Amino acid sequence: MTFKSSILTAVVAFSLIFANYKGFAQESSVSTYTADTLNSKIETIKSDLDLLKRLKITGYIQAQWQLADTAGSVTPFSGGAFPATTDNRFMIRRGRIKFTYDNEFSLYVLQLDATEKGVALKDAYVAIRDPWKQFVTLTAGVFDRPFGYEISYSSSARETPERSRVFQTLFPGERDLGAKLTLQPMKGSKYDFIRLDAGLFTGNGINPEFDKRKDFIGHLSFAKANRSETFKYGAGVSYYNGGVYQGTKYVYTPGLMTDPNVAIIADSASSNKSGFAKRQYLGFDAQVSIQSPIGFTNIRAEYLTGKQPGAKGTNTSIASGTAPTVDTYNREFNGGYIYFIQSIGQTKNQLVVKYDWYDPNTKVKGSDIMTKSGAGKNTGLGVADIKFTTIGLGWNYRFNSQVKFTAYYEIVKNENSALSTVGTNGTTNTTKDLKDNVFTLRVQYKF
Amino acid sequence: MKKLILIALIAMVAPYLQAQKVGFKVKGSDTVLPLTQKEAENYMKKNPNTSIMVTGGGSGVGISALLSGTTDIAQASRSLKLDEKMKLNDAGKAFKETIIAYDALAVIVNPSNKVSKLTREQLEGIFTGKITNWKEVGGDDNKIVVYSRETSSGTYEFFKEHVLNKKNYATSALLMPATGAIVQSVSQTKGAIGYVGLAYIEKTVKAIDVSYDKGKTFVTPNIANAKSKKYPITRPLYYYYLTSTEKTVNPYVKFILSAEGQKLVLEEGYVPLN
Repeated sequence: MTFKSSILTAVVAFSLIFANYKGFAQESSVSTYTADTLNSKIETIKSDLDLLKRLKITGYIQAQWQLADTAGSVTPFSGGAFPATTDNRFMIRRGRIKFTYDNEFSLYVLQLDATEKGVALKDAYVAIRDPWKQFVTLTAGVFDRPFGYEISYSSSARETPERSRVFQTLFPGERDLGAKLTLQPMKGSKYDFIRLDAGLFTGNGINPEFDKRKDFIGHLSFAKANRSETFKYGAGVSYYNGGVYQGTKYVYTPGLMTDPNVAIIADSASSNKSGFAKRQYLGFDAQVSIQSPIGFTNIRAEYLTGKQPGAKGTNTSIASGTAPTVDTYNREFNGGYIYFIQSIGQTKNQLVVKYDWYDPNTKVKGSDIMTKSGAGKNTGLGVADIKFTTIGLGWNYRFNSQVKFTAYYEIVKNENSALSTVGTNGTTNTTKDLKDNVFTLRVQYKF
Repeated sequence: MKKLILIALIAMVAPYLQAQKVGFKVKGSDTVLPLTQKEAENYMKKNPNTSIMVTGGGSGVGISALLSGTTDIAQASRSLKLDEKMKLNDAGKAFKETIIAYDALAVIVNPSNKVSKLTREQLEGIFTGKITNWKEVGGDDNKIVVYSRETSSGTYEFFKEHVLNKKNYATSALLMPATGAIVQSVSQTKGAIGYVGLAYIEKTVKAIDVSYDKGKTFVTPNIANAKSKKYPITRPLYYYYLTSTEKTVNPYVKFILSAEGQKLVLEEGYVPLN
């Protein structure tokens, strides 16, 4: 290497080194701007940014693998019944994308759910808050029914894969079409811990309205923390008052048979057809959160009771856009759940135990549930009258604010019925405990 | 060919041979802002390879930024709420809390106002809207104009809890986005009253002596009285950071807690830890 070429090598090398300083080129270009031009550009960017900040796009995907006790497990409460040919499956349980445009006193929300089954609407509503006292908010469109606590607790935050059986039965899809008012004192005011939600809804989920009657749903709740912010408690009471369209003139009230020689008698007044069966629920909810050296402890519970009109084979609320054409079966129910959730110190691990139950017909117990009485008379009872309890045991690993892993095992027990026409395999024979336990392994990504 | 390879190698390796620059962000409380700016400035002078970006916005804003991962340290004039701690926990984020200094909250009025002392009860009456004229507390016949911080501010919550006895602010209270705006408004409005951190007191406003024993003794808001705990409206100032970034931010936090850092606390008008 000659002296000349060495110098050349050094010069080129140093030039490249300096080119790595990001600010080098910028400084010279910045100097060409006048202060006014720069300020004006910053103002434009700031104003554009302020507009963009009003629009938020959030979402999450839950991909999971499930293993059921047996192929064709009929339980629909763990993400849907299993196909008859398999006892395990991969599925996208939820694939949400949510667009929120927040203009301080008005809010636009559209949420879609995209999975392998297709794309479905979840939320589409507008919320308008009074700009003066910021006390009243009007929400209209498709949104969560304001009943209890578990419905509006996001599936992305929930510590278990699914909501309780009682909520999935009474409020399929959680949402309904309607309008509600929310009354809550402005943040910072003395009673800002109290909230009332009340509204009128179609009563058949996010489907088109087919009857003239509206259902009332209301929830009054409060939540408070102690001064040192280590203990928080809340409670609420909910009320549902609505009606279910009666598709025929036959209305049954299945219950305990007092005389095996007399079949269940239908109320068959001709005025029953096109009338409305009473749909009435009362609910109580409570939540406690405690911070201690062992981590955060959360206990949540709800109890629901009331009247649920259904059909002979189902007591799930109507989630359809067409009026029912079947006989009506009125049942009195109760149900609820209790969660115990424990974070392990400040680690990423969290353990959860959940117990939930749903008794669709409190007037009968398992052994009373038979298709025909000893004397061969129709009882009107069936699978829709059987009580189920579920114990769930789970572990969550919160990898970071986006990724969460969940392992959850549900032990599902049913009352042993005396039904004779339910088949003999493990998925339908309710004279014994059904083979419907489910293990779920889920990964969630949220943004 | 050899020369070209040499050039390419030098160019590739050179940026890594330069000392690695450490950078992190501090965001949150406007009360803590001047202190953090001063501490960061001095720390960067001593550690030229460190770059610290400091912004305000309020305690709530800083804590939200810590949750969303857009800041490394959240500076706050209040401790974390249970909901915030649980959100961090749910995101798998273990965090640390460090008290870096104390602050005394001073009540300020326009210098032309002849009122120079108020009891806690009188302050409660003024800020909740029960007392609306200065003549009710020994001043001129002049309407009281109440200035407060926004609800996202830790100072807003601290003042409400410790001075207003958790009662609501008057609905007529004007909520300001930053402490500096309160100082400016009070300095320009004859009947104005507001509250700011001790470090924000300027000659353009007058700080009020406060009594927490129903008028028996009035205490002036200053560092000496705050340090001796005679002045009642004092509070800790916090840094919150994730344990995952502890290695990066710890030397800076240690600097603030050192004798040199605490000297700056005093110089900036805050109350040192010892």
